[in-house]
Amino acid sequence: MQNPELERIAELLLTQGYITEPSVTMAVYLSMQLQKPLLIEGPAGVGKTEIAKVMARAMDTDLIRLQCYEGLDASHALYEWNYQRQLLHLKMLEVLSKTSDQSLPAEDELFSEKFLLKRPLLQAITHHKSPVLLIDEVDRADEEFESYLLEVLSDWQITIPEIGTIRATHIPQVIVTGNRVRELSDALRRRCLYLWIDYPDFEKELAIVKGKVPQLNEKIAEQICRFMQELRQLRLEKTPGIAETIDWATALAALHFDYLPKKLIEQTLGVILKDWKDTRTAQLSLTELYAKMGVISKLDAL
Amino acid sequence: MISRHTSLVDNIVAFCRYLRANGFAIGPEEQATALRAAALLSPNNRATFALALQVSLTRTVQEVEQFGQHFEAYWQELEHAVDSKIKEDATKKSKQNGSSQPSFDTLKSWLSGNKNTQEIETATYSTAETLSQQDFSLIPSDQLKELEQLLREIAQTLSRRLSRRQERAFHRRTFDLRRTLRHNLRRGGEMMELHYKRPRRNRTKLVILADVSKSMDLYSAFLIQFMYAFQRVFRRMETFVFSTDLHRITSDLNQQNYQEALQKLSAKPSGWSGGTRIGASFQTFVADYGRLLTKDTLVVILSDGWDTDQGETLADAMQQIHQKSRKVIWLNPLAGRPGYEPRTAAMQAALPAIDVFASAHNAASLRALGKWL
Repeated sequence: MQNPELERIAELLLTQGYITEPSVTMAVYLSMQLQKPLLIEGPAGVGKTEIAKVMARAMDTDLIRLQCYEGLDASHALYEWNYQRQLLHLKMLEVLSKTSDQSLPAEDELFSEKFLLKRPLLQAITHHKSPVLLIDEVDRADEEFESYLLEVLSDWQITIPEIGTIRATHIPQVIVTGNRVRELSDALRRRCLYLWIDYPDFEKELAIVKGKVPQLNEKIAEQICRFMQELRQLRLEKTPGIAETIDWATALAALHFDYLPKKLIEQTLGVILKDWKDTRTAQLSLTELYAKMGVISKLDAL
Repeated sequence: MISRHTSLVDNIVAFCRYLRANGFAIGPEEQATALRAAALLSPNNRATFALALQVSLTRTVQEVEQFGQHFEAYWQELEHAVDSKIKEDATKKSKQNGSSQPSFDTLKSWLSGNKNTQEIETATYSTAETLSQQDFSLIPSDQLKELEQLLREIAQTLSRRLSRRQERAFHRRTFDLRRTLRHNLRRGGEMMELHYKRPRRNRTKLVILADVSKSMDLYSAFLIQFMYAFQRVFRRMETFVFSTDLHRITSDLNQQNYQEALQKLSAKPSGWSGGTRIGASFQTFVADYGRLLTKDTLVVILSDGWDTDQGETLADAMQQIHQKSRKVIWLNPLAGRPGYEPRTAAMQAALPAIDVFASAHNAASLRALGKWL
């Protein structure tokens, strides 16, 4: 006896083209129900960011995205004053006061919402309806940034010295993703629910490929996925993720082959491997990989 | 059925305690989250229930990996207890790992008075000067405190000197009047376009790879303690220890000191004693943490270069580390000994990829290290 709401979310994700597993559904469900941010970690290219996009589509709301990078500061994440507009405003008033007898404005007029540039975090909490806020690759930002984030995520408010504290009109659905470039602080972790996504297993990957590249021959799709599964066992600099599998499948579908010869794999390796050393490693063990792939698919045919 | 329902809250709380005893970071807030999550779901579907608790109670991959096991262990035991009507305190089940810590044997024996140090003890005049010349492994235990103090002083002086150079980097961005005026001249002096300046930030990051095999344990302890005084200077610091395996201890070091962190590590079942596998460890480092290396990264390696692996794996890994980072500093305590030459296969393999080769056997050599940072 399943929870109907849980099933609804699984179905929503599915109709949006996201092949999911129970842990993802549960994490999304709890994060929505408990209104807690969801921290998603995992290797690159397994669809962490995609979850936020799909959620936004499924909830029929806007996605506000904050891409983190080294040196990201408050003026890019929270808010900034629109200095140009303030200057222009002053200038206009100056001209006006010369022609008419208007007095110059009080200072707080200059520091009003009219002159405030909303950056993603402020935008998210003042949005007209609850949006999905995606804080992508948070571990790339500096530790200082985490502290801004904590204020927002725990109290849903942002303090602007000139105006005061701005409280959230709607609490956004927050998704935080990380690649484990740096350890995140415990304080941030404890604010969030946690989800770890790993590379998909064969069945899930096959389902994803079939969903994303429906024109592809089924047998090739299977072979592609087997190959990827084996390929990830190698020690690579950059292990290819699902994104690469889909790229590859799309490329092969465009070539209209109904089987997968070794030569074709060799020629199209560049689609999945983005590092020359990896390419060499894969080429060296290609025969082995191909054999494994072949043997398994023959067994399956029995 | 009803009685079991009402006791669910108790059971979840007890389960939280059980997890906490097993090293999970669970406070009242996590418990509350777990309870709220459980309230949303029917507890009859075990898999769903487990997932809900997992999402609310885990915070790291490691915890996710362990969770299933703990969950099974706890609830199986509980069912067993309920069915046989035996009340058993669940928290009793948590066992502390009391396994031996081979890597600390050296330190322990050294702390309890190393026999080798007898002759030096008579000779010491206990001044900072003599202490700073002494090889770490030869310093008697009663001077340990003094040595730590000395190291702290050296590190502080060096760190202050380095951070003064970058003092302005911590300023917030400031208005650049000169450039603003110049750019706005073309508009007849109207201030329309604003320009800012920001002091150049020190972008250096530090990665420490320390050998903690038996022979090196002591030196590593001192080096890591020393390096941590520089935390303010570097933008980011990552610490790894290796012997047969590579372990990242950065987050452990943030919470406790080096010795506790190491103790925690040696409690893990992975092969801790045994030969040092530098090549394999570095290969793991390049594969798993290669992303940490950028052109702003300073890599400090501490090892005596006794590797049980073939030289090629090490040469290959070292080359990659060298290529990706700004500077590679290899510290070898043996290098402080007169007549030492880096002749082991591992050192030979690694040498082409090393920028600075120095010793780190005593406080004076650590002080000299300052000029490379």
